[in-house]
Amino acid sequence: MSFINGKKSPRQTILIADDSEMNRSILTDMLGDEYEIMEAENGVEAVSILQKYGNTISLLLLDIVMPEMDGFGVLTVMNKHRWIEDIPVIVISAETASTHIERAYELGVTEFISRPFDALILHRRVVNTILLYAKQKRLIDLVADQIYEKEQQSGLMVDILSHIVEFRNGESGMHVLHIRTLTELFLKHLGHRDSAYQLPRSEISLICTASALHDIGKISIPGEILNKPGRLTDEEFEIMKKHTLVGAEMLKALPMHQEEPLIKRAYEICRWHHERYDGRGYPDGLKGDEIPVSAQVVALADVYDALTSERVYKKAFSHEVAVNMILEGKCGQFNPQLMECLKEIESVLKEELRFDSDARASQRQMQNVAEELLRHEELSASERTLQLLEHERMKYSFFADMSEEIQFEYTVAPSMVTLSGYGAKKLGLDEILMDPHNNEKVQKMMGIGTLRAISNELRSTTPEHPQIKYDHEICIHGENRWMRTVGRAMWSTDEPPRYMGAIGKTTDIHDERTRIDALVQMASHDSMTGLFNHNYAKERIKERIGNRQTGKFALAIFDLDHFKQANDNYGHMFGDKVLIHMAEQLRRSIRGGDIAARVGGDEFLIFLEYKEEAETAIQRIFTSLEGTYEDFQISVSMGVARTDMVGTNYDKMFHAADQALYSVKRSGRGQYRFYDDTMQEMLSVISPIDGSEEKPDN
Amino acid sequence: MTLKECYTALEGDYEGVLNRLRSEKMVQKFVLKFLNDKSHELLVTSMEAGNYEEAFRAAHTIKGVCQNLSFTKLYESSHLLTENLRAGYGADTDELVQRVEADYHQTMAAIEELQTGNPA
Repeated sequence: MSFINGKKSPRQTILIADDSEMNRSILTDMLGDEYEIMEAENGVEAVSILQKYGNTISLLLLDIVMPEMDGFGVLTVMNKHRWIEDIPVIVISAETASTHIERAYELGVTEFISRPFDALILHRRVVNTILLYAKQKRLIDLVADQIYEKEQQSGLMVDILSHIVEFRNGESGMHVLHIRTLTELFLKHLGHRDSAYQLPRSEISLICTASALHDIGKISIPGEILNKPGRLTDEEFEIMKKHTLVGAEMLKALPMHQEEPLIKRAYEICRWHHERYDGRGYPDGLKGDEIPVSAQVVALADVYDALTSERVYKKAFSHEVAVNMILEGKCGQFNPQLMECLKEIESVLKEELRFDSDARASQRQMQNVAEELLRHEELSASERTLQLLEHERMKYSFFADMSEEIQFEYTVAPSMVTLSGYGAKKLGLDEILMDPHNNEKVQKMMGIGTLRAISNELRSTTPEHPQIKYDHEICIHGENRWMRTVGRAMWSTDEPPRYMGAIGKTTDIHDERTRIDALVQMASHDSMTGLFNHNYAKERIKERIGNRQTGKFALAIFDLDHFKQANDNYGHMFGDKVLIHMAEQLRRSIRGGDIAARVGGDEFLIFLEYKEEAETAIQRIFTSLEGTYEDFQISVSMGVARTDMVGTNYDKMFHAADQALYSVKRSGRGQYRFYDDTMQEMLSVISPIDGSEEKPDN
Repeated sequence: MTLKECYTALEGDYEGVLNRLRSEKMVQKFVLKFLNDKSHELLVTSMEAGNYEEAFRAAHTIKGVCQNLSFTKLYESSHLLTENLRAGYGADTDELVQRVEADYHQTMAAIEELQTGNPA
């Protein structure tokens, strides 16, 4: 462990590339106490280790003369991949010709140590070099943070100021955001179309920021004119037009910052964003490219947004109508190049504005800053990281699309869900959903309860066990389907860990689930009549008795008299129909909570709870069972056992009811009887074990 | 045989190496390791095969090791050979190779005696 600033930090790693084992040995001995050592015996090995371990290597000790690939080869590769910017290299070589040294320095080598090795000197050089690079990295990070913060702050200030202005107009705060988005889109596209209009990234960024100030002049316009719901009179219009000049004057009147590019751009835009290409705009009647491109673009953006938004004096037009109006010249003439741009990016415009919100704006800002960082040479050390990030993103989206799964990614701040392309299509949703918990479409599809449940499950995980699995129903295209969502919560690395979001996928398990449901159904029901089968009924009955210890229950068994004859005379199909009919009658005559089952060929079981006495219920049921079915006279024999007579043991109950049924059979059938003690004695005399009992003909 | 005596036998710089590597134990360890060094073998085989580029590398490696261990005599001859082979096979090459051979065997003999006196 090495101590830096009193905190224990993990050992740093040094890669030694030298073909002589002896040399590697010596170096390892000298440095191995303080550093982790990796060895390579030629250039190719060194490169592959560098590729694998990247920036986790703090230093490379490099020999020049090696087989396969020499030191210069390694340096060339390191330069190509820009690893040289993150990993310091100390060349240890017996080659001391000045041309070598020069070449090495050109390739970005930090230090040159000649042989023979001196332990003290070597050690000092290594420590110093690593320390120097670490400081450099920290500085780079600091600067990057500062730049980002600066951008954020200035953007924020401009936003606030322009919202103040907009507030008075009664326009929504979205106007400023829209203008910025539109300006950016037009400028970018214009630059692509025609290199004459091409602007560097930073310029575009500047113009977009300045665009927020285009209407500051309106602060001088009286409120009645500003918010008049009808047409302006000529006089009123003249006053209104002045906002361009007023805005420009205000900027000119700033005591300082006149040289600032932002001010210059803002001036252009303020003053000339109502000029038109044919010279018929105001206030100065500039023509063609006399109008700065910034003002031309903001003019177009302003017109488009005005058309597509609701104002005090008009309703909102649709996107298509607005574009047509502009192309037909109904709002003045614009630069034909711009008109082509408008046509070409029509659909993009529509999409971008739909999503416009703070999150999107800050996303774009982030992108701008990131690209800005890339341009600064001193900061390009981070480029490798950005490239790696980009690489990972490409991999992820490729595999996501290939897998044909509904994959999602959720972040807490900003609150949004990103679906894979396939997922979005399958669910009929957009790929990016802002604020999913309050999104109507999402709520309709998943149900608020499910959303909340999944969210809770994720938030209840820990960084060590972040995965969840949750089965739920969703409604796609009007159909309810069962889905399984598997997710992984993302926890931050600080202490205590914060829930940042989650990733996961949702698969359709509907078919599997309905199959399982069907099987469960089959296992517990009699397929012909739809009543419970005996096993399942027994379970349910035991459950019922268990739940209500003090209840009064009766279990009745009955069968159809002369059923065998029915089968013989009318055929088995008729017999089946009779049974189904019986089942139906049974269903109708029992109450909810009662249990009915088919327990044999033509034997049925009823289980019910009663209040005062069982006779009424049994009578009712018995009567409803008798009758005719298609000329066939139905006669039923039934035996009933009561818990207060025989206890709550199921087998005893069943046996008792069975005995009662037998006694009915013996006495001529067609009635019901309750079990009493006399029957027990009766049956023990004629126990079937004797073999002397003859089963009465059914 | 002591380490110092060994260095005398191979005509090396004992004080020098001790100064740089700072520990007699470390020096002894690496001196004994020299017995296993393959560079000399590589030099011989590549010379025989006519692969002068590889021979150059081998000579260069020997030179580097000698430099680290202050094997002064062997260092000087291998240094000369290295410079010679940089341009490929030349008029003096064979003679220089002979010298390296001689110095190499002298060095090895000394180290072997050191080893027998100090079983590893």
